[in-house]
Amino acid sequence: MFEIDYAESGEIVCSGRLDAAQSAKAEAFLGRLDASHTLDFERLEYISSAGLAILLKTQKRLSESGAAIRIINVNRHIHDIFRYSGFNTIFEIETL
Amino acid sequence: MAGQSFKRSIESVAGIYRFSEDIMAADDIDESIRFPVHLAMEELFVNLVTYNPGAEHDILIDVQIVNDGVVVTIVDHDAAEFDVTRERSVDTAASLRERKPGGLGLHLIQHMVDTLEYDYRNGRSKIRFSKGPDTRDV
Repeated sequence: MFEIDYAESGEIVCSGRLDAAQSAKAEAFLGRLDASHTLDFERLEYISSAGLAILLKTQKRLSESGAAIRIINVNRHIHDIFRYSGFNTIFEIETL
Repeated sequence: MAGQSFKRSIESVAGIYRFSEDIMAADDIDESIRFPVHLAMEELFVNLVTYNPGAEHDILIDVQIVNDGVVVTIVDHDAAEFDVTRERSVDTAASLRERKPGGLGLHLIQHMVDTLEYDYRNGRSKIRFSKGPDTRDV
């Protein structure tokens, strides 16, 4: 199960497993963003290439208007995936 | 050793996770092994489903615990030939403007598992990978 929603702080909280079967839910939410936002991954356990594709697509679209997404509280395993994917150079990332 | 067949649909991904997680949790396999095993299973399964949409047979996944590591075998009897061990060209140093979404799955697997084998004959694709201590020679 994957969940994505706004926290009271205005950050976007992601939780669960962002796999291929859940990527449409992430895309529907992130596709509506039109300004810079912070994604909190503290409760995100897992992400696959399907989720990475949505993040990249969102970052590319936002960058056209000078905006960006920042990702915080990334666990060690997801950070490894970001590093192998080169996402550590195109996203601002903070680990747990 | 435990095997199970899964319908060739992206919706099977959750069931594949539960199936393999139960096996690895029962043997107390470390999270540092479980995470890349789940990732590799999903990426390989999704590849088989996505790039051969006309196929009908279920896909068999077998998970074996070996010396505190994991060996996974995926068999598709209705497969198109696609060598998952061939090196994929992904420019991970490219700028945001140059990057294109997609194509990262096999690149990640090749970095995160210890062994990856592919065999294709007579329409049957057999993929085997291992992760963890002392699984390389199994």
